Amino acid sequence: MSNCHCRNPLKPYPATIVKIIDETPDVKTFQMVFDDPSVMESFRQKPGQVAQLSVFGVGEATISITSSPTRKGILEFSVKKVGMLTGALHRLEPGSKVGIRGPYGNHFPYEVMKGKDLLFIGGGIGLAPLRALIDFVLAEENRGDYGKVDIIYGARSMDDLCFKYDILDRWPKMPGTTVYTTIDRAEPGWEGHVGFVPAYLEEINPSPENKYAITCGPPIMIKFVLQALEKMGFSDDQVVTTLELKMKCGIGKCGRCNIGSKYVCLDGPVFYLSQLKQLPPEF
Amino acid sequence: MKAYTITRDNLGAWLDALARDYTLIAPVREEETVSLFKPVSGFAEINLGYTNSTVSPKGWLFPQTEEMFFFSTGDGQITLADAQTPGPAVLFGLRPCDIKGILVLDPVFNGAYQDCYYQKRRQNTILVGLSCTRVERHCFCTSMGGGPTDGGGADLLLTEMDGGYGLEALTSRGEELIHRYQDYFIPDRDNRVTAAREELGKKLAGQFTRAVDTTGVKEFLDENFELPYWGELARRCLGCGICTYICPTCHCFDIFDQSPDGESGVRSRCWDSCMFSHFTRMAGGHNPRPTKKERVRNRFLHKLKYHRDRYNLDGCVGCGRCVTRCPVNIDIRQIIADLQEVARHE
Repeated sequence: MSNCHCRNPLKPYPATIVKIIDETPDVKTFQMVFDDPSVMESFRQKPGQVAQLSVFGVGEATISITSSPTRKGILEFSVKKVGMLTGALHRLEPGSKVGIRGPYGNHFPYEVMKGKDLLFIGGGIGLAPLRALIDFVLAEENRGDYGKVDIIYGARSMDDLCFKYDILDRWPKMPGTTVYTTIDRAEPGWEGHVGFVPAYLEEINPSPENKYAITCGPPIMIKFVLQALEKMGFSDDQVVTTLELKMKCGIGKCGRCNIGSKYVCLDGPVFYLSQLKQLPPEF
Repeated sequence: MKAYTITRDNLGAWLDALARDYTLIAPVREEETVSLFKPVSGFAEINLGYTNSTVSPKGWLFPQTEEMFFFSTGDGQITLADAQTPGPAVLFGLRPCDIKGILVLDPVFNGAYQDCYYQKRRQNTILVGLSCTRVERHCFCTSMGGGPTDGGGADLLLTEMDGGYGLEALTSRGEELIHRYQDYFIPDRDNRVTAAREELGKKLAGQFTRAVDTTGVKEFLDENFELPYWGELARRCLGCGICTYICPTCHCFDIFDQSPDGESGVRSRCWDSCMFSHFTRMAGGHNPRPTKKERVRNRFLHKLKYHRDRYNLDGCVGCGRCVTRCPVNIDIRQIIADLQEVARHE
């Protein structure tokens, strides 16, 4: 009788947190490195994919990979403290040991997007998965494949803006890139735009011509962003978003993240709006 | 493939021998009414007179709780050690619907990401089917494409017949097992075994108290996600989840860590149920299936549509366990009939 010789996909690889960046009062970015260099080398994520992070003794959670694959030798995960596992992660310090398995799921259709302008629309921690694609597209080796890059990003307050070093400093300096940042309500020290993301999007009123819109954020933001994009003439095949559902195994077995006959962990998390409209509205 | 006969006495002796050489998992009666599959030390513990075990035998291949690996975090290092998986086993006395249940689980645990826990057990386990001798009130396997003497998927199929049992080898692995214990068996040179099984099948086919017609149900559900019917059904459902625990095809699980000292521990998985409100609730509080209506709908759509969409197999094998055990008499046969009725009026 033969035995299953596959690598056990449910077993994580040990990794170490090398750096923690405080993004907002409840979001931290964890830089992680696999303990085994050959695992680091063979872990080939694509922008938009997720991984399962383990805090041993507490459990696992599905977290999107926020670093671009063009950035070698390190993985970044931006995690909002919302539950048991994310709470435990937030208590860890540089040098702490964790587990990582993945990458899982599909990815942003970056091949199809070649030659197009890209419009990113993010809210809060929803910028985390988009950042993987933004940095992939803006990376020197890929920049020539894509047109203009517009990034609209908003959060509740100045404090709640993630990746301030990217949105306020690094990205605006990149060629062919415009960053529009907004916060929900005015506050002292903020001279930028004030208002919700969907309204700001309507103000900016980007043309849908030769463009893909990629959006991620709180469900209510996505809902109004999609409506605004439709009003501006974006077709359902020009709009891409990611879905978030409770996941456990990440490999389509545990039966938790199904929407109809699709599993978000295998068939998502990235969906065109046209695909989303064919799914039962259970997300 | 070849057929053999075996006397009652030799069947007992063979099973005793199997229990010595393999882990033998077989139907056992516990207390008055509960029958289940568990490891046995010999024929004396086995109950061949059962119709359907209370809990399906899937638990051997996909245990209710299963240790996955051990971890320890001493010396600033993480060490992971695999949990032990069982060696060669014989899963004996599977009713045809439960064999089919395993065939429904197979593609879930296969695919691009092979589930090593299931695969190891599956590859190490010989399946021996047992033709039914009677039909229970809640059985409806024939409506779901099966039959009480249809052993497809097993390695061997045992059928009670005059003077003992017939044994048909359905795979080469089954044939090898017979060969290993050949002294117990008499080759069936005149096809008596197959004839007896077919005759039994014909006799039992007339004993089903209720047949359902699934024609068009999946296609109707393809077009109709929102139906007031699910709300009506959900008002009766208690959300207890027993239907999912006893079902031979339900495969949902949870993963959890135990670490009493905070430094070492075990990661395990256990059966979970889509009928529970927390099943899809996310850490932030959002729940895409917030009420019983969505959860009941998901379970029945999974059985009647989603599994077919994904794997081209019905998610129900007609064992009738969920019908027997539901505390409020929710009956998937009635649901199929009701959906036919709703479809007619749409």
